[in-house]
Amino acid sequence: MIAEAGAFALMLALALSVVQVGLSAAGRARRSAALAGAGEGAALAAFLAVAVAFAALMHAFVVSDFSVANVAANSHSEKPLLYRVAGTWGSHEGSMLLWCLALTGFGAAIAGLGRTLPQGLRAVTVATQGLLGVVFLAYTVFASNPLARLASPPAEGRSLNPLLQDPALAVHPPFLYAGYVGLSVVFSLAVAALVEGRVDAAWSRWVRPWALAAWSMLTVGITLGAFWAYYELGWGGWWFWDPVENASFMPWLVAAALLHSAIVTEKRGALAGWTVFLALAAFSFSMLGAFLVRSGVLTSVHAFAVDPTRGVLLLMILGATAGLGFSLFAWRAPSLGRGGMFAPISRESALVMNNILLAAATATVLLGTLYPLIREAMTGEAISVGPPYFNLTFTPLMSAMLVLLPAGPLLAWKRGDARGVAQRLWVALLIAAASGLATIALVSPKKAFGALGVALGAWLIAGALAEIVERTRAFRAPAAETWRRLVGLPRGAWGMTLAHLGLGVFVLGAVFETTWKIEAAEALPVGGRLTVGAYELKLDDVHPVSGPNYEADEGRITVTRDGAFVCRVTPQRRLYTAGGQTTSEVGLCYRGTSHIYLVLGERREGGTYLVRAYWNPWASLIFAGPAIMALGGLVSLTDRRLRLGIGRRREERA
Amino acid sequence: MRGMLVFWAAAGVLTAIAAGLILMRAARAAGQAAAADPTPILYRRQLAEIADLADRGLMGEAERRSAEAEAARRLLAAADAPQQAWSADPRARRWVLAGGVAAPAIALGLYLTLGAPGYADQPYAERLASWRQADLESLTPPQLAAVLKQVTRERPDDPEGFRYLGLVQAAAQNPVAAVQALRRAAALAPQRVDIWQMLGEAEIVEAGGKVDADAQAAFRRVLELSPKDPGARFYLANAKAEAGQRSEAAGELRALLDEMPAEDDRRQIVAKAVAELEGRPAPSVDAGQLAMIQGMVSGLAARLDADPDDPEGWVRLVRAYAVLGETEKRDAAYASARARYAGAPQVLQQLDEAARAEPMR
Repeated sequence: MIAEAGAFALMLALALSVVQVGLSAAGRARRSAALAGAGEGAALAAFLAVAVAFAALMHAFVVSDFSVANVAANSHSEKPLLYRVAGTWGSHEGSMLLWCLALTGFGAAIAGLGRTLPQGLRAVTVATQGLLGVVFLAYTVFASNPLARLASPPAEGRSLNPLLQDPALAVHPPFLYAGYVGLSVVFSLAVAALVEGRVDAAWSRWVRPWALAAWSMLTVGITLGAFWAYYELGWGGWWFWDPVENASFMPWLVAAALLHSAIVTEKRGALAGWTVFLALAAFSFSMLGAFLVRSGVLTSVHAFAVDPTRGVLLLMILGATAGLGFSLFAWRAPSLGRGGMFAPISRESALVMNNILLAAATATVLLGTLYPLIREAMTGEAISVGPPYFNLTFTPLMSAMLVLLPAGPLLAWKRGDARGVAQRLWVALLIAAASGLATIALVSPKKAFGALGVALGAWLIAGALAEIVERTRAFRAPAAETWRRLVGLPRGAWGMTLAHLGLGVFVLGAVFETTWKIEAAEALPVGGRLTVGAYELKLDDVHPVSGPNYEADEGRITVTRDGAFVCRVTPQRRLYTAGGQTTSEVGLCYRGTSHIYLVLGERREGGTYLVRAYWNPWASLIFAGPAIMALGGLVSLTDRRLRLGIGRRREERA
Repeated sequence: MRGMLVFWAAAGVLTAIAAGLILMRAARAAGQAAAADPTPILYRRQLAEIADLADRGLMGEAERRSAEAEAARRLLAAADAPQQAWSADPRARRWVLAGGVAAPAIALGLYLTLGAPGYADQPYAERLASWRQADLESLTPPQLAAVLKQVTRERPDDPEGFRYLGLVQAAAQNPVAAVQALRRAAALAPQRVDIWQMLGEAEIVEAGGKVDADAQAAFRRVLELSPKDPGARFYLANAKAEAGQRSEAAGELRALLDEMPAEDDRRQIVAKAVAELEGRPAPSVDAGQLAMIQGMVSGLAARLDADPDDPEGWVRLVRAYAVLGETEKRDAAYASARARYAGAPQVLQQLDEAARAEPMR
């Protein structure tokens, strides 16, 4: 009965969302606290109901109940428990349910935690969030019901795509969805602000924690996805400018821009219209991503719904909700206040520059993602827009932004002092130049662009540290005072420093890995040798191993350097018997921050194996950088200035 | 019956909690209707923060003054803004109640239309247990395979169990699992010719009709154990023909034909193969064998139709059509697989190779 209870709960959630919209909207219209409160109660109840439905689906996956169509299509009785649990969101229908869980979850959070919001703003936010819930829950119930049953269940399930049976990918969707859907709160708050006609410093302050949380989750989700692509797909790379990756990257870029413009609106009351625009755009890009991966217009591991009607429905949802938001914006934006003035050289201008470049970068990614799709639809001719396009458009824009970045936090609000900033950054500039020169001198082959990239990474890291040095007067004031200032720095400042530092770490890793990676591939007999960079590999043997739902050939490869033992790596080539698919299980050997990356190919005629080996220098930094950035986001979130409820109570006591 | 009761009880409890939350929050909000706008509080806090930062020396004096002036202006504006009073509005109670009733009513209507009331859960373990107790004759091949899989897990050293599993998996149109089970059986009973023979044939089906290296290895093993085995010799000769050594293959098949007793009805198949290899007009491949292979291929095609995300499956399908000489179907499958995996060069390469496979006839 659990599956049916889940189905009922899902439909109850839809009904509750409808009621939530009605009650909250009526509450705002009649300025009735009771009605608005009832709407919040419905929001909490809707979340509870979706959670029950989600738990029921998870139960069906765990016990392999193949009478649930979604389980039959995406699971298998022999799949390990972790992947049966993760199977809950491994398919189109299940991930829509996860999307709805996050959507109602954030709606409940606004209803439960939003007590510091003015009543009108809160009621409209809850109503808008409820409207999003209605749309997506209706889509789930009517077009993608994850708990639909089969009259005659098959004996065995059809199994989950083995590429998705991976620990990083099991947790990647929850983070990504928390990020995507977290932006829905920002969207709802923007709609509410436009309805209420109050986009001001206070509104910005209310938006920021939600944007920050969503951005941090998105950072973690995208990084996990990149890490998965890196070690599971076995192509030796971590980012392919694949439309699916771009679909998650665009909301991230917009959210990053929003975080920065919201600061200007909060501190100076300026850029209000632009901040609202970004708030609407961020979730619109999330929905665009949802449409792209589900409509069948893309071919990839993510393209699970190949049903065109679902794609059309999602396109209609995207058009209707984003259209609603932007129409409201067009109507109300002219009445927004202009806020404080600022000079061309100031913190505000630096943040505007950041926003212009991030927005332009988002536009290039959008163009590179949609143009091939549109062209294919019009002419039927498939073209692929790959790394060359993005290297020529996205990379210069981002590089320009990164060059300017360290100056921003050092500029004063309103009117900055360019010469003063230059004086504070000369050490960082020196460090960056030295890093670049050292790279040219020490790393072979010599590559000018690579050295420039390393200098840029060092510039970001040194610049972030220079800001801390400046604020604490380190090396200028007595140590005790520096310590006092260091301890007194708000968490938000630490968060910013970490995020900028993490960006620098990422740039170092990305540049170094892409410029100086070494690749070697050869068909090796057992006992054969292969050289990659400074390392020598020997294929000791290949033996069969059995997993819970796969059979594999496991290679044992010894890595040596100048005859000295370095490590033993065991890459596998797996055959998943349920679906008959083969996957590569990459073998990784960590050398500091660098990786030796090994892929075992299939056995060839004559008993040889194709072994591909990569030397990926500094590759760990590619993933460590974003992790530091996300940590920065979390540290900022703990800043007491953003924890509004607590602050308010203290204020009332005072 | 008990299940239905539990279900409606659970649905009732959930509904009651939902309605309760709506009413409770409404009552609480009505009590706080007169709450003041929190905006001025927020601006006062902003002022306090500016002072705090300045006190700790993290903000310059000039910056402090201008920031404070702006925050103070905002505070004044917020405090002066006209406050529109929110009311406890006693008439709202009716609407709150209506909402609390409407939600369960809509949900019930939706569920009775779209749900499957009374359909019990079907956990795999329970179904498996019921199949084990059922009459084996009444089970479908996939159900039988599930039962046998459990049996082989209990008796991992019994080659007979794995042999049966292999047969059943082949019948269930799961050639990969059939090969896996038969390999296990062959490892447990390496002297049994029949198992090696079966394994070889299963490998051919798995390879989409091609006598690949794995199949050849199995048949060579058959010949080690039973040097005259006609089946193994036939398939190995076919493998040679596939590799382009057509005259050699024809010679071997002719020798085989000479040794086979006249009443062996497999002679017909061998004779046809010889005729084809020697370029004489060949009426048709043995209809039975062809039908079996075509059945496997159409099964694979149907599976890919239902669940197309399977690159290996597409490669196998394209190769099978190529081997069967069904050029049109091959091109169709090749085109749709290429479109599907346009972004995966490895798959495309395999597809190209598969499409180039030599036809069997």
